[in-house]
Amino acid sequence: MNLRIRRLAVVLIVLYAILFAQLNFIQVGKKSTLDADARNTRQTVRDFNDPRGDIRTSDGVVIATSVRNEPGSEFDWQRTYPEGDLYSAITGYFTFGYGATQIEKVQNDVLAGRTIEQQIKGFRSLFNGRDTTGTVETTIDADIQQAAKAALGNREGSVVVIEPATGAVKAMWSWPSYDTNLVAVQDNELADDVLNYLGEIPGKPLLANAYQERYMPGSTFKVITTAAALDDDLITKESTWADENEFLPPQTIDPIQNYRNKICGGDLPEVFRRSCNTPFARTAIELGPEKMVAAAERFGIGQEIPFDLPRSASSQFGDVDYFKQNLPLLGIGGFGQGNTQMVPLHIAMVAASIAHGGVMMKPFVVGATYDHDGGVLQRTAPTVWKTPMTPSTASLLTELMVGVVNEGTAACCMSLANGVQAAAKTGTAQLNATGEPERSHAWILAFAPAEAPKYAIVVMLKGTTAEISEGTGGTLAGPVAKKVLDIALAQ
Amino acid sequence: MTNTHSDIAARRRSTEFHLVLMAGIITAGAYTLASLGQNSVIPPRILPFLAALLLVLMSAHIGVRWLAHGADSTLLPVATLLNGIGYVMIARLSERLAGLQTTWTFVGVAAFIGVLLVIQRVNDLARYKWTFFFIGAGLLLLPMVPGFGFSSGGARIWVSIGPINFQPGEFAKIALALFIAGYLADNRELIATGTWKVGRFYLPEPRHLLPLLAAWGFSVVVMVGQKDLGSSLLFFTLFIVMVWVATEKTSFLVIGLGLFATGATAAYFMFDHVQTRVAIWLDPWSRYDGKGYQIAQAMYALGSGGVGGTGLGLGDPTRIPEAKNDFIFAAIGEELGLFGSTAILIAFLLMIGAGLRTAMRTTRPFEKLLAVGLTTILGMQAFIIIGGVIRVVPLTGITLPFVSYGGSSLVANYVLLALLIRVSDSSARRLGEIADSATFSERFATRLAQRRVKKHPEELEAMS
Repeated sequence: MNLRIRRLAVVLIVLYAILFAQLNFIQVGKKSTLDADARNTRQTVRDFNDPRGDIRTSDGVVIATSVRNEPGSEFDWQRTYPEGDLYSAITGYFTFGYGATQIEKVQNDVLAGRTIEQQIKGFRSLFNGRDTTGTVETTIDADIQQAAKAALGNREGSVVVIEPATGAVKAMWSWPSYDTNLVAVQDNELADDVLNYLGEIPGKPLLANAYQERYMPGSTFKVITTAAALDDDLITKESTWADENEFLPPQTIDPIQNYRNKICGGDLPEVFRRSCNTPFARTAIELGPEKMVAAAERFGIGQEIPFDLPRSASSQFGDVDYFKQNLPLLGIGGFGQGNTQMVPLHIAMVAASIAHGGVMMKPFVVGATYDHDGGVLQRTAPTVWKTPMTPSTASLLTELMVGVVNEGTAACCMSLANGVQAAAKTGTAQLNATGEPERSHAWILAFAPAEAPKYAIVVMLKGTTAEISEGTGGTLAGPVAKKVLDIALAQ
Repeated sequence: MTNTHSDIAARRRSTEFHLVLMAGIITAGAYTLASLGQNSVIPPRILPFLAALLLVLMSAHIGVRWLAHGADSTLLPVATLLNGIGYVMIARLSERLAGLQTTWTFVGVAAFIGVLLVIQRVNDLARYKWTFFFIGAGLLLLPMVPGFGFSSGGARIWVSIGPINFQPGEFAKIALALFIAGYLADNRELIATGTWKVGRFYLPEPRHLLPLLAAWGFSVVVMVGQKDLGSSLLFFTLFIVMVWVATEKTSFLVIGLGLFATGATAAYFMFDHVQTRVAIWLDPWSRYDGKGYQIAQAMYALGSGGVGGTGLGLGDPTRIPEAKNDFIFAAIGEELGLFGSTAILIAFLLMIGAGLRTAMRTTRPFEKLLAVGLTTILGMQAFIIIGGVIRVVPLTGITLPFVSYGGSSLVANYVLLALLIRVSDSSARRLGEIADSATFSERFATRLAQRRVKKHPEELEAMS
């Protein structure tokens, strides 16, 4: 009988070897397929059922927190956003079925207490049962953010305020926005409906136009053209341009015109503050495609903005070969029309770099992260991204922008409270073709105080229907920037 | 008795002691980790738990040391390890069931020691083979008796007597293994020779085969009637394996497999629930919202475990229906990963190895066949349910021995373990590895006889 018993042993070993092979197939081979299966909710449920730390502003206002549900609910915790729609573009949402966005996504490990440091520090909590979740502190200043929302009102557009020396984003507001609480609901179908609705309505509230969209920048781009030409020594403060209402660039029979076909000219401070178009078109063409494109690259245009929130848009200018074939487009690109597109955040960074002596910092909204006991996990160190211009060019540009505020296109509306001197450049990006109803993006980029800048700001009003002139940007966007800067500087 | 011989037994017991201790350390560690993972605290009832664990492990070990000194040293530690891991998983799934499982473990270990105490000469059991036949048959029929039996989860395999509910099938399998071993030990040569000529073939005479076929047919019919496919598959395998090993005739294996194929095909076409089982085996996802949900969740659980597992208490095994019971293997695979699930497979292989080694060492046909039968039950039951959970075979709900929650299953498996250990000890005695001293009952009988001789010396004289 022993021979049969041995064979029985062999058969059983073979059967168990089959089990082992199948286990490998499931737990190793098909793991990623199984994890990715839409019906497999294990990871999301795990995240959703755990406590989760707060997100707060730099001045301590809680903008995302988790509260315990009543016993018997499907999930133990409910994520809430006490400030409604004010911070939705910064915190993002945290849902059961539709993942997370913005800080809720990129700082998920900290909030859920899953970074290695938290796990190690949290070892003590094994004995006292405390949770190990972390807190994310943003760089946002609640007062400035609130001021930005109030100043913009119900106009489509965005406001971004940056600290020039560090790149810390002090306010970032986009309208339309949405109340994050409507998405972070337990009812998955309701969340689905809300997200679909928000995705379909005009204005795309789910996309923060402050950094996830790009727009034609209009005359605000003249600061970049000017910086490029100054650094190339093509022009100086003393350069002058003859009075003209239009300029015929090479390769075309279609002349480039000033706003409303006005006659415009003079020295650099004059054409800059009056925002003439033809001098900047001429300058861009004289610099040539290579130098203009190189300058745009020095400003980070065409590259991904190194922002610490996901899916930021990139600005665009154009490439050398394209402009060589289309010199007129290089000309109008020189004053921010044509195919030029800028992300509002990026324009704010341009303003900040002028304010910071020609050095552009990486923008960031996550200032620091803390463990459950308040110990610092990570503090964002300010980092230089680009050096787009020399310090002397930066100080000359500041002088030119002060001129814009004092006697130029922003003279209407940028005299700040307590006599603080601001520096600014306006922009009006014409969207309509000739003969169509007039539509434009109204822009202003500014910083203050001009002599020792604390804040740089961009205001963009999208697709306004006001009459277009070189002053449109100043009259529409200027007051918004003034209100926000006044409140920021009053602190 | 020489020193060398008693040394072998002493070494075995010392090995067993250390292995049991290791199983205890692993269980206690796993219990603590599961609580840490789940609630981030050292389990509040750690001290009573450790006390109970130590009590269970040491009483089982001392039971073997005292009553089966020469037995194999790996069977008990591996069983306690499986029991411990299962307990940790159950405690992690439901605190209430953990309390009950603790009780069942105590009862199981008591039954283990009880069996070792009562059955000291395993060969004596062969004499009661017909008793076991009727006990097995009765147990199998019990759930069908109105008033006693009731259905749960689609299968009518439960019996309720007073406050106690149990699954008699778990005990019936042991009784039937005892019967088949006893019957084949007596008749295997007659069956193997084949004196009944049918055409060109010599077949065993029907009267020798009949009781076996009756036992098998009976159990299969009852099981199919109770919709307990897993147990019916287990009985079938047990029967074929034991006849094959006993007769050493491959033809029985071929005939058995043929019968199995026929039976399986017939069952497939006759019963809807068999068709469903096959359908969800082939593609659980197409019936995700129905019967396939459980297997799909088990797949997700195993996948999320990956190689290293999510960690004890950190997975989400409550999403698998019946995770404490038939699907406990998926819960282990999730939290302990491929390492943990493979460890369970290896544990069962170790028990199979020890069981079959016991079968090969012993010289008595009854003990040989009994060890083969009990090992087959253990090995095949684990294979059937693990294979069902991980889609190697269609799912048939039976428990994972020693691991799943359930009193009947745990107690029955401890009884089975005690019998295997008893066979192992018995062969050690016969091989002279330990002294074949008289058992309690034998000593008791001797003492009674001596006293009688003292009191009535005339009887002895009369006898001579």
